Amino acid sequence: MTQPAPGGPGGQPPAPGPKASIVSYKAALRKATRRNAHEQEVNFLNITAMLDIMTIILVFLLKTLGESSAAVPQSDDLKLPISLVKTPPGQDGVLVTISKTQIIVGDDKVVTLPGRESTSQTGVGARYHRNGPNDLFIVPLGSALQSARRTDKAVRTAKGLDPSSSEAIIIADQTTPYRLFIEVLFTLGQSEFGKYHLMVMQGKKTN
Amino acid sequence: MSELTTAQRSKIRRLSQPKELAPDEEGGELNIVPFLDIIMNILIFVLATVAVTFTATIDTTPPASKGSGVRSEVPSEALNLTVFIVNDGFSLKASGGNIAPGCQGPGAGITIPMKNGKYDLEALTVCAARLKGSSPDFQDENQVYITANPGTDYQTIIDVIDALRASPQGDVLFDNVNFKVPK
Repeated sequence: MTQPAPGGPGGQPPAPGPKASIVSYKAALRKATRRNAHEQEVNFLNITAMLDIMTIILVFLLKTLGESSAAVPQSDDLKLPISLVKTPPGQDGVLVTISKTQIIVGDDKVVTLPGRESTSQTGVGARYHRNGPNDLFIVPLGSALQSARRTDKAVRTAKGLDPSSSEAIIIADQTTPYRLFIEVLFTLGQSEFGKYHLMVMQGKKTN
Repeated sequence: MSELTTAQRSKIRRLSQPKELAPDEEGGELNIVPFLDIIMNILIFVLATVAVTFTATIDTTPPASKGSGVRSEVPSEALNLTVFIVNDGFSLKASGGNIAPGCQGPGAGITIPMKNGKYDLEALTVCAARLKGSSPDFQDENQVYITANPGTDYQTIIDVIDALRASPQGDVLFDNVNFKVPK
């Protein structure tokens, strides 16, 4: 089959030739598509994996801080005293918290305190004492500590530590009167707690 | 085999061009900028909170009550220093008896009276250092007893512990603290 020459004499447009078959057309289309296809450019950074890691680290950090005894919530009811001591806080021990209004062992509220005037004279009050107002043993605190001591004794035995006495971490408000403080220490001593860690806030004195 | 016509070539050229995606069709990427903002805020908050709550602990033992209680063994020639925090100041007592005002020797009275309505902690440190240096036998002693009026603040107790712990030069004075029950 002969093809007419393009641009024939007389300036007439070339006569259209016969149409190519569908097979040829599709083959040519595939070829052209392959030729024009280019690799997709990376025009953004995929940080999804990094975000996953960051989120996990953040959650881990928050959980660790929340469980650490070093994390003491500061509020109007409980402000730690400021000290120059830099001894790192001990992690082992039963947590005893003395705020302005209550005494807490672990997470359990044990005693509700009267006002400061009263606590500076008679401590928690005569009704909580074992033998009248001059006694130092706080009965509800002693009961809670006995339970805590049993648990701590088992933990210390399992850890291979000396189970004969337990340790306590005392978190007390800076306005706690000495009378109340000594009552708590005395009750701890009577409940087989032989060593105490007084929690303070590191800092410089203003006066 | 027939050749492609112009129309077919044009159609092939058009169809073989890479398809440009509309902005709303590009891979369905999430807008994570607000999420990043939240993460950064939480991170800064956590770090700031941790920086504020640097805590430390002071170790002690159960208080001595009316002559009983847990006490370390001390030799008879020990200083056996006791600090009483009273309303007028600090009264110090050692094995030789009460320390006189001015911390110069035995005698009755408030050893370190209040100064301008405040407890004189610097004078307490100086007095403790002087008492510890008064005999070579006291050099290894680091135990001190503290007792206070029932209404004394916990912060004052901690201040006294700090004052007795070390001299301004950094020498350790009395860092083993025990409490006594007020009579």
